[in-house]
Amino acid sequence: MTEDTATIERDLAAVDAALASGAAAHDDTFTRELQELALELRADAPEPGPAFAEELAARVDDGFPRDPRSARGRAQAAAERQQAALERLAARAARGPDGLGRRLLKPIAGVGLPLLLIVVVVFAAGGPPGGSGGDSDSLSSAGSSSSAESGGGGAESSGSGAGSTESSGEDSAASAGGGAASRGDSAASGGGGAAGGGAASRGDSAASGGGGAAEGGALQSGSARGTGDTGVAPAQPLPRDGGFVPGQRDRKIERSFSLELDVPLDDMARVADQVTAVTNRHGGFVLDSSVDTGEDGGGGDFSLRIPTERLRPALRDLAEVAPVIRQSQEGRDVTREHVTAKDRLQAARAERRSLLRRLEAAATDTEAEAIRRRLDLVAGEISGLRGQLRDLRLRTDYAVVTVSLLVAGKHDSNGVGGSFDDAMDDAGGLLVGSAGVLIRVLALALPLGLVALATWLAGRVVRRRRRESALA
Amino acid sequence: VNEALAGRMPVATGTDTETFAALYERTFPRVYAYVASLLRDRSAAEDVTAQAFERAYRRRGSYRARRGSPEAWLFGIARNAALDELRRRKRRARLEGDPEDTGALGADDHAELALRREAVRAAMGALDGRERDLIALKFSAGLSNAEIATVLGLSETATGTRLHRTLTKLRKACND
Repeated sequence: MTEDTATIERDLAAVDAALASGAAAHDDTFTRELQELALELRADAPEPGPAFAEELAARVDDGFPRDPRSARGRAQAAAERQQAALERLAARAARGPDGLGRRLLKPIAGVGLPLLLIVVVVFAAGGPPGGSGGDSDSLSSAGSSSSAESGGGGAESSGSGAGSTESSGEDSAASAGGGAASRGDSAASGGGGAAGGGAASRGDSAASGGGGAAEGGALQSGSARGTGDTGVAPAQPLPRDGGFVPGQRDRKIERSFSLELDVPLDDMARVADQVTAVTNRHGGFVLDSSVDTGEDGGGGDFSLRIPTERLRPALRDLAEVAPVIRQSQEGRDVTREHVTAKDRLQAARAERRSLLRRLEAAATDTEAEAIRRRLDLVAGEISGLRGQLRDLRLRTDYAVVTVSLLVAGKHDSNGVGGSFDDAMDDAGGLLVGSAGVLIRVLALALPLGLVALATWLAGRVVRRRRRESALA
Repeated sequence: VNEALAGRMPVATGTDTETFAALYERTFPRVYAYVASLLRDRSAAEDVTAQAFERAYRRRGSYRARRGSPEAWLFGIARNAALDELRRRKRRARLEGDPEDTGALGADDHAELALRREAVRAAMGALDGRERDLIALKFSAGLSNAEIATVLGLSETATGTRLHRTLTKLRKACND
């Protein structure tokens, strides 16, 4: 017989009809036999004994009590107490007639507690997203390298005059030959010092003496709000990378300052002009700048280079241009680099003098050629070291000053009574931060959840198969 | 009905509810018949039946109407309990084994009926475990094809096809 759907449905319907009516009366012989078989099977179904039925009914009526002396009984009693407590809690939590909250309490607790644990782990491991956002005031070493180096670069491109002075002195020493070597040295350190070195000495005194102290003091308030009042305690620049040389009097310090000024939008152009004017007045220059006076945005950024000896009055003047919202400073001690380069330069010069003497006394062309080659190498080394010294000097002679013009009322006030826009900005930031946390949590919880789900499903399948194996 | 049975179970159809005791009253003989058919051992069937009702009672909060009728839920529990029992004593009593005391004809039974019933029992013994499970769910438990499908985790169509095939096989074995 082919088990097509129609036949199967007809036969099964006939079987159900026979079971319902208790009679096998189908016209088709085969189907009627199936009906009779079905009735036989049902009639042959085992029946429970009356004693067992009575006993089980009694247990049902009693709610299947367990022997309280048994371990399972004690466990059951404890579980029932726990269940009752949970249900009471759930009933309180569920504020609806359908008890939805009660049904959801356990799953929520089951999911929520592990999630809470993950959040705690995430925070403990990486902290909240978005960073602290704190001010980088004081002379922290972190991040000072980049600003100092960029400042140095700027100073190098604009102030090469000082270096060229020293270079000419050295050239004269070189051309003078061995006998003039001492003059060359003195020219480098003395005559050169009259021009380039003079600038260096000013820088040194500014760094270590009154200038440095005053400048540090002027920005000692760091992120404290105010108008840049220069009331002042001397700031001691922190060493960086072991650059501080104990006992060194004339320390070489790279300095960078940051100012944020509160400027009304319609006053932006005037303040920008004044920043440039103050910079020029104190012998500095504007490395780059951008000013936006548009209605939508507004603001400006200036990167200035100001001679260190003029830094204090320059900062004071800048603070008078507009109210200072925030200020910070960083310093980097490069004395060790300076001393090392200087010593190496002296050694190279001494070697060149020696080579020049040997060149004068050379007996053969071969010997003279070898000495010239060596002289070329030493000359290259001297040139590189001079450039390094020049770079260091310019970086310490000129401070990097970054001025940001922020539109009044639009910047982060950090105040208690901010405007509605501030509140909205804060709310947006909070949402973004929360989303970040959520994403991190999901990044952990999702794979873990999937693994747990896969394990649970696999366990179910295995259990089911084991059970079904009893029928195999 | 004892107050201990106050835990109410939603019934699949309608919004009425019934107590566990009512479900027990309605299904007890069929649960026993199903378990006994599967185990072929009256004593073990009593234990497993009691165990099944106890499990169902303790898990009555886990019943979800959308997953099927209370009968399907209850017989699922009973089936699991019976299969667990079968696994435990698989070496002692296999489904294919011959010890069987699920029923004995009374003295007043007709001889022809007795022969017929004996033939059916013999044919049942020739079925494999899954087929006997299916027959027991249908004729001892009295479940509808849809409820059987829920218990076995199959589609209703597949359940009907299997049932028809098994009945045909059983009929053939009875006639041979």
